[in-house]
Amino acid sequence: MQREQSLAPLWQPKVRPRLGQHRALNKPLDKGTLFMRLTMATFLALTVLAFASFDYQGINIYNAFLGTIDNFRVLMLSPQLTHFSLVEAAEGMLITLSLALLTTVIGAILALFFGLLAAQNLSSPLVSSLIKGGVAFIRAVPTILWVLIFAIAAGLGSVAAVTGMAFHSVGYLVKAYSEAFEEVDSGVIEALRATGASWWQIVCQAVLPTAQSYLLSWTFVRFEINFVGALAMGAAAGAGGLGFDLFLASAHYFDLREVGFITYLVLAVALVLETITTQIKVRLRVQT
Amino acid sequence: MSLLTVKGVSKHYNERIVALSDVSFAIEPGEFVVIIGSSGAGKSTLLRCINRIVEVTSGVVTFDGLDVGSLDKRELRKMRTKVGMIFQHYNLVNRLCVLENVLHGRLGYKSTWAGALGIYSEEEKAQALRVLRLVGLEEQVYQRCDQLSGGQKQRVGIARALLQDPKLLLCDEPISSLDPNASKVIMDYLKKINTELGITCLVNLHQVHVALAYAERIIGVKRGRVVYDGLTEHLTAETIHDIYGSEAGDLLLGSGGNHVG
Ligand SMILES: Nc1ncnc2c1ncn2[C@@H]1O[C@H](COP(=O)(O)OP(=O)(O)O)[C@@H](O)[C@H]1O
Ligand SMILES: [Mg+2]
Repeated sequence: MQREQSLAPLWQPKVRPRLGQHRALNKPLDKGTLFMRLTMATFLALTVLAFASFDYQGINIYNAFLGTIDNFRVLMLSPQLTHFSLVEAAEGMLITLSLALLTTVIGAILALFFGLLAAQNLSSPLVSSLIKGGVAFIRAVPTILWVLIFAIAAGLGSVAAVTGMAFHSVGYLVKAYSEAFEEVDSGVIEALRATGASWWQIVCQAVLPTAQSYLLSWTFVRFEINFVGALAMGAAAGAGGLGFDLFLASAHYFDLREVGFITYLVLAVALVLETITTQIKVRLRVQT
Repeated sequence: MSLLTVKGVSKHYNERIVALSDVSFAIEPGEFVVIIGSSGAGKSTLLRCINRIVEVTSGVVTFDGLDVGSLDKRELRKMRTKVGMIFQHYNLVNRLCVLENVLHGRLGYKSTWAGALGIYSEEEKAQALRVLRLVGLEEQVYQRCDQLSGGQKQRVGIARALLQDPKLLLCDEPISSLDPNASKVIMDYLKKINTELGITCLVNLHQVHVALAYAERIIGVKRGRVVYDGLTEHLTAETIHDIYGSEAGDLLLGSGGNHVG
């Protein structure tokens, strides 16, 4: 025993790096790596084959390539509004942000309630697993599909977009919220039960105060997702806002400069949102 | 009449885990009783069967004349207000301040919504401040609980239980996470609460020497059964050995010989 202990510090620093090197050099070609490499090789072969067998219909690849570069240059380097005024663009942005806010708020309110019922420590096992299964299904279907499904009843437009996006938000937030609730120390819940507190009192006095920072940050993350979603839905589902302006500028007016301007506008707002999220996360880490 | 009677109580968590089997005892008003036993003996389960945080498998618990097992939801809440509970890990809401945590002791008395929204009367707040003064925390009233030391957190736990205006205090290893100095402070507070406020105390302890120093009566639990129930001075070294098995040597040695009064 004693000899082993006294030897250990001498051995460890010398042996460990050598072992590591040894392993890295002779890394065996296990099944996973082999499969990955085969897949990559197949993709490569298919890509080459596809380019060789395309029907180019007399397009000169060289010219086409130059044209694309030129378009990209116009898009990125000379942004300009022509068909919309700056006020209209700002208005579009406001509509898109409102869409994101509305769907996030609706989603958050519903998710708060269902999240409580889905948390194993606050609900019965049956109700919890039913809700968790349900929201897993909602999440598995992409947002755009939900919008199209609701469009059957509401017609393509802002109503279908809001409903579909809120629906998917509920699925996402119920999972995030219920996991935050399940993190709450079971002893604290037990202590409040022992004082004679009721379910709602325990939720409001112990669970929500403990989980609130997590709830807030998850909600904001979802707001970011919904901002991107609102942009896409504006174009795809005709929900209006900046996404629709973008759609008009590109598919209707073929105005690359305008597309460029809107892209920069979106980028700016996305950056601001990203900064706020990072700030929230930093503050969270300090607090908890 | 006994304040608490436990009659033939058994608890099976599942087919294999039998936490309690056929436990019976009675506690008179004003007693200070310590339950000792090695870890896993069933001490925590026993305390939780009393206020039905854990449902018994069989047997009857009677508190203050009420058959605890037959109470409906509302009656159970009302009964729980009369049984304070403190814990090894304090179990406070760390993000709330000391006063808010202490006021949780009133939740069982309030309407659901007043309690949920944290609306307390001036009288309740004044009472909370009085209790905080009693446990020496008048300086920390608005401090967040995660900024307190272990001993201070446990005093908040005691204050929360006292605000319930309880007849019985259940203490589940109240000093197991504390250093010896803080442990002594907490045990002295519990003793003071028992003698000065006349609140009956049922305390789970792992440490035999503390039990010997503070208890009037000791209940020894081993593998879910009561193996000793009697006055502290009648507890023999053999019985302690029986209760703790091979652990007993360490426990008694660690305490020295200076504690038993
Ligand atoms: N919630 C539970 N589910 C299953 N088994 C449990 C549970 N709580 C306690 N037990 C088991 O019951 C026995 C008694 O535990 P406990 O009452 O915590 O003992 P003590 O407090 O004396 O250490 C142990 O074997 C423990 O593993
Ligand atoms: Mg225990």
